[in-house]
Amino acid sequence: MITLARTTGLARASNAWHRRKPRSEISKPLIATGTSILALVFLAAVFAPLLSAWGPEDIDFAAFLVAPGPGHIMGTDGNGMDIWSRILHAGRIDLGVALSAVALAVCVGSLIGGLVGYIGGWVDEITMRLTDIVQAFPAFILALTVSAMFGSGLINLTLAIGFIFAPAYIRIMRGEIRALRERTFIEAAECSGNTRLQILYRHLFPNALTPLLVIAPLNCGWAMLTLAGLSFLGLGVPVPGAEWGAMISAGAADVVGGRWWTSIYPGVSLFISVLAFNLIGEGFLERSEAM
Amino acid sequence: MNGASAIEVDDLSIGLRTRGGGAVAALSGVSFDVRPGEIVGLVGESGGGKSMIARAIAAMLPSGAEVSGRIALGDVDLLALSEKQIRFHRGTDAALCFQNPRSALSPTRRVGQQLMDRLVRWQGMEQDEAQAAALALFQEVGIRDPRRRLRAFPHELSGGMCQRVMIALALACRPKILLADEPTTGLDATLTRDILSLFRKAAQQHQCGVLLISHDVAAIAEVCDRILVLYAGIFVEAGTAEEILDSPQHPYTKALRDAVPDLDRRASVPVGGTMPRLEKPPDACPFADRCTIADAECRKALPPWTERQANHFVRCIRPDTDWVALADVGHAPERSAPGAATRTILDLEDIEVVYKSRFGRGGQLALRGVSLSLSPGETLGIVGESGCGKSTLARVIMGLISPTRGRAMLNGTDITRMSRPNLRTLRKNLQMVFQDPVGSLNPRMTVERNIADPLKMLNLSAVEMDRRIDDVLHDVGLGSAFRDLYPRRLSGGQAQRVALARALSVDPKLIVFDEPTSALDVTVQAQILDLLRRLMAKGDRAYVFVSHDLATVRNLCSRVAVLYLGRIVESGPAEAIFDNPLHPYTRALLESAPSLTRATRAESVVLARDLDEASPAEGCPLLPRCPFAQGECSEPQSLRRGNNTHEVACWKVGS
Repeated sequence: MITLARTTGLARASNAWHRRKPRSEISKPLIATGTSILALVFLAAVFAPLLSAWGPEDIDFAAFLVAPGPGHIMGTDGNGMDIWSRILHAGRIDLGVALSAVALAVCVGSLIGGLVGYIGGWVDEITMRLTDIVQAFPAFILALTVSAMFGSGLINLTLAIGFIFAPAYIRIMRGEIRALRERTFIEAAECSGNTRLQILYRHLFPNALTPLLVIAPLNCGWAMLTLAGLSFLGLGVPVPGAEWGAMISAGAADVVGGRWWTSIYPGVSLFISVLAFNLIGEGFLERSEAM
Repeated sequence: MNGASAIEVDDLSIGLRTRGGGAVAALSGVSFDVRPGEIVGLVGESGGGKSMIARAIAAMLPSGAEVSGRIALGDVDLLALSEKQIRFHRGTDAALCFQNPRSALSPTRRVGQQLMDRLVRWQGMEQDEAQAAALALFQEVGIRDPRRRLRAFPHELSGGMCQRVMIALALACRPKILLADEPTTGLDATLTRDILSLFRKAAQQHQCGVLLISHDVAAIAEVCDRILVLYAGIFVEAGTAEEILDSPQHPYTKALRDAVPDLDRRASVPVGGTMPRLEKPPDACPFADRCTIADAECRKALPPWTERQANHFVRCIRPDTDWVALADVGHAPERSAPGAATRTILDLEDIEVVYKSRFGRGGQLALRGVSLSLSPGETLGIVGESGCGKSTLARVIMGLISPTRGRAMLNGTDITRMSRPNLRTLRKNLQMVFQDPVGSLNPRMTVERNIADPLKMLNLSAVEMDRRIDDVLHDVGLGSAFRDLYPRRLSGGQAQRVALARALSVDPKLIVFDEPTSALDVTVQAQILDLLRRLMAKGDRAYVFVSHDLATVRNLCSRVAVLYLGRIVESGPAEAIFDNPLHPYTRALLESAPSLTRATRAESVVLARDLDEASPAEGCPLLPRCPFAQGECSEPQSLRRGNNTHEVACWKVGS
C-alpha cells in the first residue's frame, strides 16, 4: 500500500495504462556512466607521467604551436609545451582542488548547519544572517574577491572555493536538522537517555546527510568550473602551471589564428569532467526521490 | 443488481507490478453495486484491496496497473473513458474523501476558496452564487460560524473540521457516488460519530451512493446499510450491517469483529498471522492459513460465493460452524484492584503546563493542575478527546516537558527540577511507547541498534547486550531474524513491537504508552493488546496508558483518569468509572464509543459542539458543552469524592 501512495503523483487514468521506468532504474546508468568517466579522468591524472613523453612544463624548442601529430598528439602551445601532457597533469589540480574544496564545504557547512539548527535561538539567527550576506553576492564574484584578497596558490584557491560553497550546506543541514528535531524518534532518543551531543551525531546527523550527498557531486562540477574561470581571468593557477582554465585562456588568442587545439582540448577535458560530476549528481537525485 | 444502481462494479480485477518486478493480484473478480441513498461499508485489513476499489472508481489507479472488468456509472463504463472524460467524471460523478483531510486540502488557499473553485468549475456557478452555495454546504456539514470558517486556512482548522470541509468539497460535485477512504481513522469517538452521521445525511439528501471504507467494522457498522468484507482482493462476505455484526458466517468477518475490544469487558481476540500477498488470483481460500476451522478441503479450491439468505453472501465452505461451542470467549483478566497501596512510584502534584506563544506574552494552558499517583503493578488509563492534554501529561511524566507549576515525583525524586544528566540516569526506570510506530524508530538504524540505544545506559558487556536484545525481541513476538532489518521494512504492527522491545530492554519501572494502537489496523491492534495484556499481568511494573479508545482502556487498565481541557474531571477504579460514570463528560464519552452490542443506554448525554470551539471558562471546563449546565457550574470545580470509590469534578455529584 505504501508503494501505491508514492506513485499517486504519477497516477494516470485511462485504459492505455501508461508505464514509466521507476526512478531507481534511471539512476543506475547515470551514476555508472558518471563514475566510469570520472574514474578514467582520475586514472589519467594519477598516471600522467607514464602516459606522456613530455613533462607538463617542458619546452620543445623545435615545436612552437605545432598541430596535433605524431610527436605531440594534441599539438603544442605557443611556449612549445605538449598539450596532451599538460591536460593530463592539469587533471590533478582541477580534480584535487574541486574535490577538496567541496569536501571542506561539506564538512564545515554541515557541522555548522547541524549545530546551529539543533541549538536554535540567537546563535541560529546570527549564523543565518551571516550566510545571507555571503550568499547575497554572486558566487563567482565572491570567489574572485576572496582569491584576489588572499592571493593565488592552490591552498588559497581551495579555501576560497570552499568558502563560497559552505553557506549552501549550512542552510541545507540546518533545515534538515530543524525538521528532524520535531520527529518522534528524536523524542524516543531523548527517552533512551542520549545526551544532546549523542542525539546530534547518532540520531540527527545520519538522517540529515542524504540531501548533502545529492548536491555534493553537482558542486564538484561547479567548483571545477569556478577554478577554471578564476584561472581564465588570471587569478587562479599562475603561468606556466598546467590547469584547464589557464590553458583555455592562454590558447584563446591562438584560436583566432586557426590554431584551435590549444584551447579546444582543455575545454573538452573540462566539459567531460563537469558532465561526469553532473551525471552522478543527477543519479543520486533520482535515487533519493525514488526512495 | 438492478438498473437503478449509483455504481455497479462487475468482475473487477486489478494487477500491479512491484518495483522489484514481482506481481501483486490486488483485486480478483470483485462485483458489487451501490444504490442511490445507500451507504455501503467496505471493511478488511490494510493491503486487502479496499483503497484499490476506491481508486478504480475515482479513476486514480497507479500507473502500470492492469485492469479488467467493468465499472458502470449509469450507462458509462469508467474503464473505457478518455483522459478528458475522466476529468469530467472526477468533477461530477465520483468524489473522494481521504483519510488525512488536512493534507488533502491545499495549504495555501482558504478552504472557502477551494470549495468555490469547485462550484464554479463543475456547477457552472457565478462567483456570488458559489459563495452562497459554499455557505449552505458548510452549514450542511455542521460547521459552526460558517462565514468565518470559509475564510480559514486548513492549518487553522482541527482534524474533525478539516474532514467536514473535505465532505463539503465532495458534496460540491453533486456526486453520484461518494467514496470515503478511512474518513474517521485517527479521530476520537465523539467526532467519529458526528462525521459518520454526516455521510448518512448526505446520502439521504443528495441521493448519492456512499462507499465507506474502514479497517474497523465496529466503527462504521452503525451508519451502513450493507457491509462488504474484503480479504486478499476477494469478497468473503456481504450482508446487512446487522447480519455481519450479529451473525457473521465467514471466520474472517468474525475475526475482524472480535479484534475490536468492547466496552462490555469483552477482550479483543487476536487472530494470528498476516494477510498473504497474492501474486495471482487465489485458487484456494486465502484465509485458510489463519483460520481455526480450516482443513484440507479449504485449500483445494476457492470456495464459491454462495447466497445464504436473501442478499447475505459468504465465501466459505463451513458457514454453519457453531462458533459458540468452539469459543473460549476470554474476558479480560481481572486486574488487581488498586486498594490501599502502600508505596507509590509516581506522584503528580498540581501539574500545570503552559505552551508559550512564540510572539510576545500569553500562551495556551495545556494542563491546569493535574494530580495523580500510581503504584507499582498498576495500569492507569488516561482518556479524553484529542486536544485535552493527554499527550502533554504523558510527556511531563517522561520529563520531556517541564511543567510551569507543580511537581512530578518519580520514586520520591522530583523530575521537574532535575538537571539533564540526573534526568538521564532516571531514564532507566522510565520508558515510553509512541503513537506513530515507524516514526518512533530511527530510520537509519537497524532494529538491533534501535533497541540497543537505551541499553547503552546500563553499561552491559557486548555479550550481555546481545542476549538482552534477543530476549526482548522474543518477548514481543519477533524473532532474531528482525535484528538486521531497517524500520522502513517493518509493518506498523512489527514496528510497534520493536518500539515496545526497546522500552522493555532496560527493564523500566514505569512505561508510558501514548496511543500505542491508534495508528494500527484492528487486527494488528488486537495482537498488540494481547501482548500488552500478557506483559501487564506479570511483574510489578507500572503502566500509564494514554488513549482515546475507551474500550481498549477498559480492557487493560485497573484505574482510569478522565481528562478534559487539561483537568481531571473524573478518576477512580476502571470498574467504577465504566459501570457507573458520574461526570457528564465521562458519560458522553462512553455514549459515543462504538459498541458491537449496540445496547442503548437509558439516559443519553450528547455534548454540544466540537471540542475546539468550547471555550475553557473560569468554572467547569465543560460548561459550554454540558447539557445539564446550571448557574453553579460557573464556580470553579474541584475533584470531590463521588462515592466511596472514585472522584469527580462536578458539583452535582454527591451533593
